[in-house]
Amino acid sequence: MTGRAVAIVGGATTKFGVRPLTWAELAQEVGAALFREVPALTTEDVDSLFVGAAEPERFAFQSHVAPLAAEQMGLRPHRIIQRTELACASGQSAIRSAYAAIASGLSDVAVAVGVEKMNLPSMAEANASMACVMDRAWDGPAGATAPPFFAMVAQRHMLEHGTTEEALAAVSEKNHRFANANPHSQFYEKTFSREKLLRLPVIAPPLRLGDCSSMTDGAAAVVLASEDHVRRYTRTPAWIRGTGQYSDFHNLANAGSLTEWPGLTRAAHEALGRAKIGIRDVDVAEVHDCFTISEIVEYEALGLCPPGQGGTFATDGRGDLGGDLVVNPRGGLLGCGHPLGATGVAQAVEVFRQLSGTAARPAENAEWALVHNLSGSANVHSVMVYQRGGAA
Amino acid sequence: MTVDLPRRRTSTGDAPTPDASSPPRADPAPPTERKSGPARPFLLDFVPLESEKDTRLARFFERLAAGRLSTTRCARDDLLHWPPRTACPRCHSEELSWVDLPESGRIYAFSAVLAGAPMGMEADVPFAVGLVDLDGVPLRLFGRIEGRPWADLAIGLAVRVEPYDVGDGRWFYRFRVVD
Ligand SMILES: [Zn+2]
Repeated sequence: MTGRAVAIVGGATTKFGVRPLTWAELAQEVGAALFREVPALTTEDVDSLFVGAAEPERFAFQSHVAPLAAEQMGLRPHRIIQRTELACASGQSAIRSAYAAIASGLSDVAVAVGVEKMNLPSMAEANASMACVMDRAWDGPAGATAPPFFAMVAQRHMLEHGTTEEALAAVSEKNHRFANANPHSQFYEKTFSREKLLRLPVIAPPLRLGDCSSMTDGAAAVVLASEDHVRRYTRTPAWIRGTGQYSDFHNLANAGSLTEWPGLTRAAHEALGRAKIGIRDVDVAEVHDCFTISEIVEYEALGLCPPGQGGTFATDGRGDLGGDLVVNPRGGLLGCGHPLGATGVAQAVEVFRQLSGTAARPAENAEWALVHNLSGSANVHSVMVYQRGGAA
Repeated sequence: MTVDLPRRRTSTGDAPTPDASSPPRADPAPPTERKSGPARPFLLDFVPLESEKDTRLARFFERLAAGRLSTTRCARDDLLHWPPRTACPRCHSEELSWVDLPESGRIYAFSAVLAGAPMGMEADVPFAVGLVDLDGVPLRLFGRIEGRPWADLAIGLAVRVEPYDVGDGRWFYRFRVVD
């Protein structure tokens, strides 16, 4: 790794769900939670702020959200303040940007925050905003949104590999069960058996309601510090050891086979290579289960199982507690909800808790963690690799 | 700034600057009734702006209105593009020519929107969408699929390209199952 070592030294999330509050109030709530979670942090410490927000212009009629978030959180950043936008991966983009700034020496202590307010009086308007993520001029007029796109991925995966609806339900059941232990999740204390999931209404065939993540209001924040500053905040940092990203296409005409996501394989290879580990070394993974089929294709593209066997990986519980590794112990996007800009940051909060031994669903003796976000129609993949505590 | 200048709003809509040195004066003008209601802005929708003053691809929409689905091909390296372009993504040449695309194809994958349609498309629910491999060219286009309920569609089913007027003079394309 070049540059200074960087770690996450603490983090917090708001409650995720349909929340009766505004974008700015979400930022205030997460700011208050962050300073409670990281008692040694002062507002003066934070020299830089990166704000992951996918569509505040559409969902909250608000641009220039970085200074808005800073004001809500009581911060006056003096080195870097900016917003990062990469649709569903806007939050991880904020973390990656903070990481790069600290590694380069430009920043010492930075906050990466993700905020998204998605539930509006008109959900048709909110759905139109979601559809803007696609190539709106060429795919948009037909009504391209995420559910029918990922439904086509599922349809082709079923055709080519014999993947079943039961395999999709297995992913959903696992992630909703994990979300049961997470009081901040949208579906906290709600249970979904595989049988119940298979009876939920179809949203975009073959995907049912339980195969899709929700429209969610929520925010999450983490503090990142350089190796010289880490000890001031925690004895159990989560060190960033590698990161990778790949952007493959945008228009759906260029989506390839649908069932293979080579961009994820490349991004993970880059991130794991920088960390000098292999996928088998990963103990816990937070992957982007915007839809159940996504997690299944991700098992394959990450190299956790051979191509086509992601469905079996799910039904065999190999991503469950006691499996090969624990996938989405936070509850995933399916169980926690998916406030676009907040999701990637909330995953990092979970990784920090997993590696510092404070997670609600701890993976056993976890040392290495991987975080993956896709954005849009799985056309961009973003991956980060973290290592537990110890020396820089 | 002198204290006697009247308060005014800047073009960016900033709030007037409070002046601590002089007490606020009573506004001599009677309060006016607010005439405007909630803003009803012109909303861009998902159909592109198609005229020559809006896009360099106006030719695409003119041809579409004449019943022909077309795209651009690079004169330098022969690359066929989708969507149509103004510069080639491979060699960056801006010398592109228009070519007609086949009017027939087969469904590669499909689904349907049964809920959660974007604003303006709620009345269309349920509607089918899919990826269609056009016959004889290496292009797979996304679009609406008409002519059969979604439950009666199948991968491999033959469809044809159907240009249509979206209702306000703009044109787009969709697919229709060949009977
Ligand atoms: Zn070319």
